[in-house]
Parts: sequence; structure tokens; C-alpha cells
Amino acid sequence: MMRRWIFPILAGGLIAFGAFQATLLATPYALMQAALMKVGKQGAANQFAFAAMTTADNQTIVRPSPDLSYSTCVFDVSKGPVLVDVQPVPGHYWSVSIFDARTDVAAVRSDRDTKGKAARLALVKAGQTAPAGYEPVRVGYDRGLVLIRILVAPASTFPTIDAIRRKSSCKQV
Amino acid sequence: MKTWHRYVICVALGLIGGAAYAVQQVRGGLNDGVVANGPWETGKSFGTLDASTLTRAKVALSGLLALPAREAMYFTAQNDSDGRALDGRCTYDVRGGQLDGRWWSVTLYEGEGWLVKNAANRWSIPASAVSPDAQGRWSFTVSPEAQSGSWLPTGSVEAFDLTLRLYHPSADIIKSPETAQLPIIDRKGCA
Repeated sequence: MMRRWIFPILAGGLIAFGAFQATLLATPYALMQAALMKVGKQGAANQFAFAAMTTADNQTIVRPSPDLSYSTCVFDVSKGPVLVDVQPVPGHYWSVSIFDARTDVAAVRSDRDTKGKAARLALVKAGQTAPAGYEPVRVGYDRGLVLIRILVAPASTFPTIDAIRRKSSCKQV
Repeated sequence: MKTWHRYVICVALGLIGGAAYAVQQVRGGLNDGVVANGPWETGKSFGTLDASTLTRAKVALSGLLALPAREAMYFTAQNDSDGRALDGRCTYDVRGGQLDGRWWSVTLYEGEGWLVKNAANRWSIPASAVSPDAQGRWSFTVSPEAQSGSWLPTGSVEAFDLTLRLYHPSADIIKSPETAQLPIIDRKGCA
């Protein structure tokens, strides 16, 4: 009787292992897609959306920092490179990070890296080239997210920082 | 029962069981065994190609868009320094000294990482909100009730965690986060 179940149980075990691995592999893509859809509602693709400071009432992504201002751009390099120009904010920590569809970081540049100057990045996929004056950042997937973090401390500096960050741009060539 | 019935049953159970076990593992929080330091836990490979499949999935769920350690380190505490689960109905002293990085903050989250509603509209204590003494020692209070000095409200939630962000950490902390001098979390009492 039990012998009839041996091969079905072995098959079930193999399937279980495959399902375990497939679920782990799919999780980052699925969550990133959900995040891109949420963030995408704040603005068009290849264009920055400048969010208000995060509070308990307006959270879109898990573990937000209420001390940082977030600016996001859902990028899509399928039709050409995307250029990211980040306006520096003197005297404040800031960084720009590029996340791919698997949630990996393709690049991070902060005021420490640029020595306070603007960051100029060109997001390119295989076969595309960066224009002169832009640092190429190779992305493995067409879509992903550009995220600018700026430390807002004290909170009263936000209006000044907000005016500066709105000079940053994200645009397709 | 026919042979193919047995295969269908076992394959279906395998699919459901494998996926459910993966979900259970991913939902286990950011305590992937990476590095522990007192009540704090962190990982060295968040946001990088080095992250394991499980770590990447965990971070995507509980810390999406985390930065790599060179830029920022995230230490999360789900327990106090005596190993008891953090409870929003209790009061805690968080005490520390100078942290070896450019800037830090401690943020309170519930569930998978959401800010907690509270009357004070305060969700974190940044470095600029504490007053270090001559030795650089500082403290703040985590409590459901308003406190004198620096106060981080819990909103009286049943369970919460604290995330210590350290931006531009020193090379020593990146290399050996388990030996970094991190704040202690001291439970004073519960309502």
C-alpha cells in the first residue's frame, strides 16, 4: 500500500523545494513592482515626484524615515537612456540611489562622493551609451526606481530644501 | 485511488507547502542570522548583489529600498537589552554614546515597518534631538505617555521595533558591526 505513495511523495518533495525557491526568487520582483505602481501614481515615468515629509498618514513604502525627504522617479530605459541630474543641498546629507527591478542597488552617489557638487547619472542598458558629462550607470532591467534622500534637520529647513530639490530632474533622452 | 490521483495530491501539497514555507521564512523579519549586537541586528549585504535569495526577499518585504552598508547601516531591535520583546505599553530608556558615523536616528515601527500614529506626531529621535553630556552620553525615553526630555511615543501598540540608522558609518563598523558601541534599551516599567 505504502509503496504506491513513494514516488508521488518524492515528486511532491521536489515540487515543494522548487516552489520554495521560486517564491523566494519572485518576492523581490513582486514587491518592487507593487512599489513602482504605488510610486508611479505620484507622477509620470522618467519624471521626479517630490513627496511631502513622511508621517504615519502618508506612508507608501515600508520603514520610511521621517527625517528624510524622498524624491522618486520610476525610470524606464526601454526607449533610451534616462538622465538623472541631482541638485546638491549644501550643508545637508543627500544621496541618490538607483534600484533595479530585483531591488538591488545599481548605484549610490552622495554629497560625500560628489564633494558637494551635483550628481549627473545616465541610466543605460546594454547597447546604450551615456551622453558626455554623465556618469553611466548600467541597469539590468528596463524599469526601476531612482530615489533621492535628503536629511531634513531641523524640520524647519524643509521649505528651503524643497525648493532646491525641485531643480533635480529625471528625463529620457 | 488511481496512481495519478496520488501524484496530484502530493504535487499540490508540495506546491502549497513549499510556497507557504517560503512566505513564513520571509515574514520572519530581518533577523536572518546576519549580525547581532546586544538587542540590535543588522546585515552586511542589504541592497547588494551579495545578498542571499532569502535576505533579498526579507529586505524587500521589511526594508525595501535599503541602502548598502557603505552608505547606511540599519540596526533593528525587536527586544530590549534583557531580551524581552518590545511592548508599546512599557516605558524604556534608550542610552548611548557617540556613534561612529556621520548621522544617526532611531525610528519606531510596528508590524512590517510602519510608523505608529500618535498624538505628538513624532516617529523618530534624530541625533539632533538629544543632548549629549560632556562624555558624549545621551538618552531618550520610549513610552506611551508623554515624558520630559526627548520622548519617542509608542502609541500604546502591542509590539514595536526600533531601527537605528547610521549614515556614512565608519569603516570599522562596516567591517565589524558586532563590536560597535550601540545604545542599550532598558525597560523601566509597564502600564
